Amino acid sequence: MTEVTSFRNNPLIDPHLEIWEWQIPGYLFLGGLVAGLMILNGVWRLFYSDKEGRSITRNGAVAAPVLLSLGMFLLFLDLSYKIHVFRFYTTFNPASPMSWGSWILLLVYPVQILTLALPGGIERFGWRFSFLNPLWDKIKIYAERYNVAVSTSNIVLGIGLGIYTGILLAVNAARPLWNVSLLGPLFLVSGLSAASAWNLLARPNDAEKKLLVRWDIGLLGIELIFLMLIIIELSTGPIGKQAAAGLFLGGNYTASFWVFIVGLGILLPLWLEIREAIGRYVPHWLGPLLVLGGGLALRIVFVYAGQISSMPEITLFR
Amino acid sequence: MKFPVSYYAEWTPYFGLLIAWIIGIGFGFFLERGGFGNARKLAAQFYFKDFAVLKVMFTAIVVAGLGFWGLVLLGLLDLSATYINLTFLGAQVIGGLILGVGFVIGGYCPGTSCVAVSTGKLDALVYLAGILFGIFVYSEFAPILDKLHNSGSMGEVYVWQWLHVSPGVAMILAVLMAVGAFTAATIVERKKKSIVQP
Amino acid sequence: MEKTKAQPYWQPYYAGLGLGLVLLLSYMLLGQGLGGSGAFARLLYSIMHSVAPGHVEGNPYMAKYFADGANPLNNALVFLVIGVFTGGLISGLLAGRVRKTVEKGPNISVKGRFIFAFAGGTLMGFAARLARGCTSGQALSGGATLALGSWAFMFAVFAGGFAAAWFVRRQWL
Repeated sequence: MTEVTSFRNNPLIDPHLEIWEWQIPGYLFLGGLVAGLMILNGVWRLFYSDKEGRSITRNGAVAAPVLLSLGMFLLFLDLSYKIHVFRFYTTFNPASPMSWGSWILLLVYPVQILTLALPGGIERFGWRFSFLNPLWDKIKIYAERYNVAVSTSNIVLGIGLGIYTGILLAVNAARPLWNVSLLGPLFLVSGLSAASAWNLLARPNDAEKKLLVRWDIGLLGIELIFLMLIIIELSTGPIGKQAAAGLFLGGNYTASFWVFIVGLGILLPLWLEIREAIGRYVPHWLGPLLVLGGGLALRIVFVYAGQISSMPEITLFR
Repeated sequence: MKFPVSYYAEWTPYFGLLIAWIIGIGFGFFLERGGFGNARKLAAQFYFKDFAVLKVMFTAIVVAGLGFWGLVLLGLLDLSATYINLTFLGAQVIGGLILGVGFVIGGYCPGTSCVAVSTGKLDALVYLAGILFGIFVYSEFAPILDKLHNSGSMGEVYVWQWLHVSPGVAMILAVLMAVGAFTAATIVERKKKSIVQP
Repeated sequence: MEKTKAQPYWQPYYAGLGLGLVLLLSYMLLGQGLGGSGAFARLLYSIMHSVAPGHVEGNPYMAKYFADGANPLNNALVFLVIGVFTGGLISGLLAGRVRKTVEKGPNISVKGRFIFAFAGGTLMGFAARLARGCTSGQALSGGATLALGSWAFMFAVFAGGFAAAWFVRRQWL
């Protein structure tokens, strides 16, 4: 039995951890998805400007800010002290990814407004918001003049946002499962494949479709390699990390990891999209839907599994 | 190697779930190969047109049964570590009759309806909703139906015990029965030329 | 994307051989057979439990699935059925048999078929619970292991099917 004493094992003295529930994986998923949409949009505008985009540009401009706001709302729901949210912005701590994250998010919104003003975004406001139109026209001129800069910022901020959603977990040294070098890149790649899937679901034109399917195949392949490298890194690491790998190799999250993330989230859609790429029939919505589900499962499993993985206990008081 | 592996190799339950998924893939694959994702093919059985249900089921039972009892008789498979369906004769006969009626009305059984949904059959989706509703009805009234549910309880009892023969003899009888049924079914099918294809 | 012509189904003996080997493998690896309806019961109960936990726990038949804080979805049958969906899709795509259709005879409307499908599903769900298993869990698994009740169940299923067939012939013929 653990006795409650005046100096230990007392929630008022020992730090007491709140359990992260569905809001955090939801936020990480949406953050990664938005990052992917921004990067794809920037890449398309910079390198495929000869082709007309429909799904990529529209989702990069319109869906991204909406989804990001939804994600921020989930994060806000998770905060215990909602009124203190402004304090994120009263300080800047270069060693804290939380701090980096809040500032990246602050930069993302203006870039997204400029993206929205580019062709493919919002042309004019109608109805009640028509009073915004004179101002909007000015923003549009400005955005088009700095077209290349806006597209580049989409890519740069997207990469930052995508990696941050992983680094946010990875800096927790006390959680061996998260404390792996590839978690940031993994979440970035997963966000990119989720964004390709999202674009594929949103009625892309033929040129986009061909490209998105090919990108998605590559991204899913990289994601699979990263996942396997993480498993290897964990299982060859110190005892705490080996225990974390065990969660996926026989432990509580074995089935959820291999079935929902690897099997249904990567391998099955990979096969479906390769079939699609070589011109065989597949229901075109199925692969992308599985990719989105797999991306969400990845965050849910890592957030929940990470919270039960911990460093080997060191006894200080005997 | 001794079977079941999960018992002797002390698999964690979570690893068992992963293996169950892989086994399920095989199950679904062969169900679909046999045409069990098609309600017309399944129902044709009951109009003496296409005996795929009988043939696939009995082939599977004979193949698995021979392997299963072969391993048991060689002492490689531990019956006590294996889940064997308990016998509740009353519940199983009445349940079986209702299930048979439901089969020809609905056109699927629960396992085959999954395969049908996977291959885009909309009626199977409706059928699955019916399954959930039926389970709901039963479960709500389960305390009242408890007596019927446990009627004819005989515990873990085998066909060969009931026939007073050895398991090997019972398997041979099952094989003979299957071969006889297949022959009769094939004669009827040939006469009608009514094998259902997609 | 051209839809290729659907390939014919396999000879039932080959499909039966494959199915039998999968069933045998299940007993050899997991020590249990296959099952179709258990997963749907577990899914239903976990949905019901999240909506009305008190109601589910007050019914001893459903409450046993939640004993000691258990999650009814952490079960081999559930993952097996997820696999069945996956395997059916793989086989169907490889053979060009995946397409949106309604399977029915020529003399019944789609709406009529849906009504029959729902009614049949309801009877099946009810009966599978009553008999502790469906065609896969009882007839196939119990059949191979020579469980007495499962053989009685199997003959009852064929009897029920042949008896009712004449009354619903309009649906299929």
